[in-house]
Amino acid sequence: MVEDRVTVVNSHGIHARPAAEIVKAAARFASHITLARDDLEVNGKSIMGVMMLAAEKGAELTVRADGDDAAEAVRELVALVGGHFGEA
Amino acid sequence: MPSLLTGIPASPGIVVGAVHLLRWEVPEVPMRVIGEDEVTREIARVHDAFTRAVERLKQVRERAARHAGPGEAAIFDVQISIIEDAELRGRVESVVHQNFSAERAFDVVMHEWREHFARSPHAMMRERVGDLLDVHIRVLSILMGLPDYDLVDVSKGANAILVTHDLTPSLTVQIDRECVGGIATDAGTRTSHVAILARSVGLPAVVGLLDVTSRLETGDQAILDGTAGTLIARPTAAELAAAATRTQRERRQGELLARVAREESVTADGVRIVLRANVDLPDEARAAATSGAEGVGLMRTEFLVVGRATMPDEEEQLEAYAGVVAAFAGHPVIIRTFDVGADKLPVGGYPHEPNPFLGWRAIRMCLDQPEIFKTQLRALLRAAVGGDVRIMLPLVVTLDEVREARFLLAEAARELAARGVPHRADVPLGVMVETPAAAMTADALAKDVAFFSIGTNDLVQYTLAVDRGHAGLASRFTPLHPAVLRLIRRTLDVGLAHGLEVSVCGEMASEPLTAFALIGLGIRNLSVAPRSVARVKQIVRGMHTSVAAAAAAEALEAGTAQAAEAALTAGLTAEGGLESLGA
Repeated sequence: MVEDRVTVVNSHGIHARPAAEIVKAAARFASHITLARDDLEVNGKSIMGVMMLAAEKGAELTVRADGDDAAEAVRELVALVGGHFGEA
Repeated sequence: MPSLLTGIPASPGIVVGAVHLLRWEVPEVPMRVIGEDEVTREIARVHDAFTRAVERLKQVRERAARHAGPGEAAIFDVQISIIEDAELRGRVESVVHQNFSAERAFDVVMHEWREHFARSPHAMMRERVGDLLDVHIRVLSILMGLPDYDLVDVSKGANAILVTHDLTPSLTVQIDRECVGGIATDAGTRTSHVAILARSVGLPAVVGLLDVTSRLETGDQAILDGTAGTLIARPTAAELAAAATRTQRERRQGELLARVAREESVTADGVRIVLRANVDLPDEARAAATSGAEGVGLMRTEFLVVGRATMPDEEEQLEAYAGVVAAFAGHPVIIRTFDVGADKLPVGGYPHEPNPFLGWRAIRMCLDQPEIFKTQLRALLRAAVGGDVRIMLPLVVTLDEVREARFLLAEAARELAARGVPHRADVPLGVMVETPAAAMTADALAKDVAFFSIGTNDLVQYTLAVDRGHAGLASRFTPLHPAVLRLIRRTLDVGLAHGLEVSVCGEMASEPLTAFALIGLGIRNLSVAPRSVARVKQIVRGMHTSVAAAAAAEALEAGTAQAAEAALTAGLTAEGGLESLGA
């Protein structure tokens, strides 16, 4: 299993549209992927799960992946989650 | 059953047309237990419904992208992702395996999800309930073979009156002006999403009709009057004729407004009166600018917080302020900081106050929540780069409040400088004089502020101790009470002695008699609702300040509100009365 930590930086946090982008990106990998915030760990390929994180700007998340393409999945998702989603 | 329904006027204009009823609500799902042999078939039905819902959403997304832009259409991507969610599918399938029918299983799961999101302590999650509801309705309608109410099917040129419970964002972005002529909703307020949208695209709208969806059917003829806030179902010939007359009158008033807008605001004896507009919502700015107003005397900012789940950030506020400033290029735009109480704030769980008008609100709340206040101040300083922005503090009762606000304003400017963001640090700071305390100590305040703006509604309320919203006290709410007139006069005298601009921005300035009284007291700067600018200008052009001053002097010495009013009415009559002034 591979994991890495990332801080949300876009000003509106992981609201609906970024959540949709994240699950779309996660779906491209074969690995089982989760996102965790404190005690809550959710399926990274489920928009319901990702929205339930309610990750606002500044939130610390852990991305975990288990599978053949785990390292690549974590790298890509950390870059996406820690990005600006085309916002300020 | 009365055919006249009264709601809240949300966007002006009259439209006569056929009703298109859009029932966007979760249908009742009958309980149906299935046998083991039916499980596979029911799961296939779920998958089939999901596929069809996604196809339909893609059509809707295309349409929305055309009418509202790709950014607005993105909410349908979110809804598509929800339907394609593996967790959702897994949950529904497991419920079907417990021998529930497809529609029942989906209904149960969606109710659970919605409940979970609605009860979340996080605003970000609560804001998604609307998307879940849309998905819930869409998929269930397909599973149950119910008609699809999407606007995709209203024909071009129909001029339909769209009648619905509430206009969700997903419905809003589909509205095509070529088929929809007006909007009527059960829910909503003047600041709700539907009202703002309707005004920005110039569609007549009435909101807050409570039960209009249960009183009309698709195809019914109706008259929607967005100016008066009424809807007449199945009108008689006489009502149709009256609507035509009103439409004509609105057009004539529009023409008058346009003509007067270009005329100068000068009294018959040659005194210039500055007329500005009050703006409640950013989308009203353009109408205000074309009314002939020389700037904005009061821009309210409450729309940014009321009815929302989260506080607006600096960027969102900047956008709202900058739009108004741009519409009034070269003219002053006076923006009032948040005038809200605990009950209106989206953040926190503040206790209900027994007496909100005397409670924790306006400048008090802002000073106690410096982060909220400074976010607004930073946005204002940034908007000031685009024009003549002035900041006004509401409900000031003591100099300390002005000094604290000035301290935070300086901090906000430093924060912007540190970030390297363009802004102006020299934005004038003024106070709204709306308490007897501020009027009586205007001399103390004058040394620390750039202008006074008298808010008459609250000044009358606090001076006379009469609740302005109390229907039973309406006859005791007397703006021309000598106590009020004296406080206005005192504020004006002190302000002028210190070289400050003194304006009046309350409703009082919009009424012919009270506008006459204010000019008589010496006020030369009025701010009124955009639709009143032309009317007040006509009064100004027909009156003499000398006559008004004599009447005001008498009113100031009157023993009662009635005597003061009589003195002023006599003065106005001497000018030829309301008729000759075009009022």
